[in-house]
Amino acid sequence: MARWGMVIDLQRCIGCYSCMLACKQEHYLPPGIFWNRVIISETGKYPAVTKQMYPVLCNHCKEAPCVKVCPTGATTRREDGIVLVDYNKCAGCRYCVEACPYQQRTYYSNSKKEYFPGQGFTELEVVGKELYPLQSGTVVKCNMCVERIDKGISLGLTPGVDPEATPACVNACPVKARHFGNLDDPNSEISRLVNEKRASPLHPEYGTDPSTYYIDR
Amino acid sequence: MKQYEWMVKYTPQTEWIEGRGILFWLAFFFIELGAGMFLISSIFGVILGEFIGWLICAGLGGGLHLLYLGRPSRFYRIVLRPQSSWISRGLIFIAMFLTLGMVHIALSLWATAPIALLVIVNIMAFLTIIYGGFTMSYISAIPLWNSALLPVMYVVAGIWGGAELTVGIVLTNGGLVELGPGMEELIRLLLIAFIIIVGTYLIGVRYGSATGAISVRGIVLGQWKLFFWVIVVALGILLPLGVAIANFVAEAIPRVFLWASIFLGLFGDLTLRYLILKNGFYSPLVPSSHL
Repeated sequence: MARWGMVIDLQRCIGCYSCMLACKQEHYLPPGIFWNRVIISETGKYPAVTKQMYPVLCNHCKEAPCVKVCPTGATTRREDGIVLVDYNKCAGCRYCVEACPYQQRTYYSNSKKEYFPGQGFTELEVVGKELYPLQSGTVVKCNMCVERIDKGISLGLTPGVDPEATPACVNACPVKARHFGNLDDPNSEISRLVNEKRASPLHPEYGTDPSTYYIDR
Repeated sequence: MKQYEWMVKYTPQTEWIEGRGILFWLAFFFIELGAGMFLISSIFGVILGEFIGWLICAGLGGGLHLLYLGRPSRFYRIVLRPQSSWISRGLIFIAMFLTLGMVHIALSLWATAPIALLVIVNIMAFLTIIYGGFTMSYISAIPLWNSALLPVMYVVAGIWGGAELTVGIVLTNGGLVELGPGMEELIRLLLIAFIIIVGTYLIGVRYGSATGAISVRGIVLGQWKLFFWVIVVALGILLPLGVAIANFVAEAIPRVFLWASIFLGLFGDLTLRYLILKNGFYSPLVPSSHL
């Protein structure tokens, strides 16, 4: 069984936010909800200023604290490593939000919030609510575009190789800073990147064994 | 150095204290206080205290827990993961405590409650008091909470508060003679234990990690220092301590001091819980060496 993971090359990332926007568009995320974020900071003084870009998302950890603390069983980890939330089971206790050391889970509280307040929902928002019916009062997070992966595999495609089976954020990156694939396959591109470029996850000392790795500058 | 603050600096948790998170803070307090009051009242034979403790636990504690949930109608699902979730375990403990507690109260009023039932109910009451602390201490992402002393502190606070409220009930109905000297001794012991545990807890977290140090500094020296030193320490701990010492030395002290000790002790405990929730910080997401 595959263990899906991601490698983000910080040497290539230019902070264009394409991944963040592609994710928002792919899942029709409501206002204020982001499953992919890009942290940008600057260090130094003019003219010697350095900019650091750090895309962050749910790490789909192997030892996910959110899975352990969920009292209803809404948050589960599939055999292929994808951590999912079943919105029909979530009671909104937010224990998972507190437990996630990477702070990548969001409590979705207001389903009536519009992108253009006072003007009603746009057509895109209406379609989004039908295609991706997030429930208010539940916790939401990145699902690694599980629908794309599952459909792609059913069509015989390879996630990480074929764009139709690859997460939207990976496809959107214009500089190919994001890579997706099977961490348990030593011959996959991301396994090679992890080994050769010595990619490391965020805060390995937390003991969560994340599936997202970063190639440092 | 300008930094994107959101995850590059120490970020405070918000879901369990901001907005509707206030309900969470109050829910834990009342659950533990009510169970503590029931436990102490049942040991000292104050049936009214048992009933009021039960009501506080069920009505205020349980009600506020339900109001806090994003989807309260799904609360029954919360018992499904006791093998790994402290909230699951907690709801089971609370349900058993409330059910058996009501049976104990009814039997105490109309017949004789078996000792075995009393023991089981009080075990459930103790587990009800302690589950909140374990729920928080399980979260390793927030060093201020991730301490073995946190559940101990909450248990002592819950039992101490319950004892104080039981004294209040008895004061309202007459004298304290029926409680005997045991209650006084118990309250003194609990208060001293609480002082030692709070001090040890804060010192332990302070030196446990950089993030823990930030949290403790925020409580003790930061923007919340007045709340901590005036409400928690002076009014919530030192005043009750003074009353307890005076009660030990003198034969009787004015009731107004007893009532002040009860309410300020509870208010101090409530404030301390607020400060612990408010100052729960996460470590910076991006390692500083990467910036």
